[in-house]
Amino acid sequence: MFVLTSRLARRNMALRDMSPEDIMEPLPLTEPVLLILLSLAGQAQHGYSILKDVERMSNGRVVMSTGTLYGALRRLLDDRWIERIEERDSPRGRQAYRLTPHGRKNLQAEVNRMKHLTRLAGLRVATKES
Amino acid sequence: MLSIYEQLLRLYPASYRQQFEDEMLSVFHELRSENRIHTRLRRGIFYLREITGVLRGAASERCRVLRGKDVGLFEGGFMMRDGFRFPKTTAVLMTLILAGIVVAIQKGEAIQASLPASNPPIGAIQPHPAMLASIVSFLLIFYAAGSIGWIILLALRKFGVRRVDEASGQK
Repeated sequence: MFVLTSRLARRNMALRDMSPEDIMEPLPLTEPVLLILLSLAGQAQHGYSILKDVERMSNGRVVMSTGTLYGALRRLLDDRWIERIEERDSPRGRQAYRLTPHGRKNLQAEVNRMKHLTRLAGLRVATKES
Repeated sequence: MLSIYEQLLRLYPASYRQQFEDEMLSVFHELRSENRIHTRLRRGIFYLREITGVLRGAASERCRVLRGKDVGLFEGGFMMRDGFRFPKTTAVLMTLILAGIVVAIQKGEAIQASLPASNPPIGAIQPHPAMLASIVSFLLIFYAAGSIGWIILLALRKFGVRRVDEASGQK
């Protein structure tokens, strides 16, 4: 009960100013998952390209192992946020992934949540400084 | 190193391996080739990261298969839960302890039987009154300590719930 209440309270505080269609489960995303989704937002990618792209986007701060990457990909596949692309003549070891419309919508919701948070943080910090 | 990585991948459930094993091996192979040019230290860090990543991933996937849902093994913090929890591992540990006691009794009996019969028989041991008093006082002390601990946990929980209610009310 305590866990549930505190989670709901935390989530409601972060999302209360967002429109209902923006609020989707499960938010907020962890940083590696967010970076994976951002990596796939532009174009379909293979596992190795995702790892390199995530490293590049985070300026080398987030370096994932293959275990972490494929654990996250498995969850995203199960929740249908991403899908595998069937490529002809592609070896089994090189499967490409891309965002589904559902995944793109969720990513957009997360970006909106972060924008709201950043705006709020900027306002609060500015008020404190003045 | 590739063979060690392959062996570690076997820790994953079969369904997961079927889906991702080839890809993981391929990506690991590419990363390994790329890391060949780096220093020993960087290569060591790379291997360490890969091994811990696979171990964590395998543990997480095994838990998911056992419990039927995703478990964030290393992501969540400490959670307070209502209700009495009796982990399955406790039953195993209790069985092991019981087996140890039974074996110890049997060994004791065997040693007693192997002793020469010339030993004088010892009569029933009469408990000393001071021993009984100390046992009772020990039990009381442990009971009091347990009660104090329980009260502290209860107070912390009530305090936490009140703070969450206040936070919700402030919205």
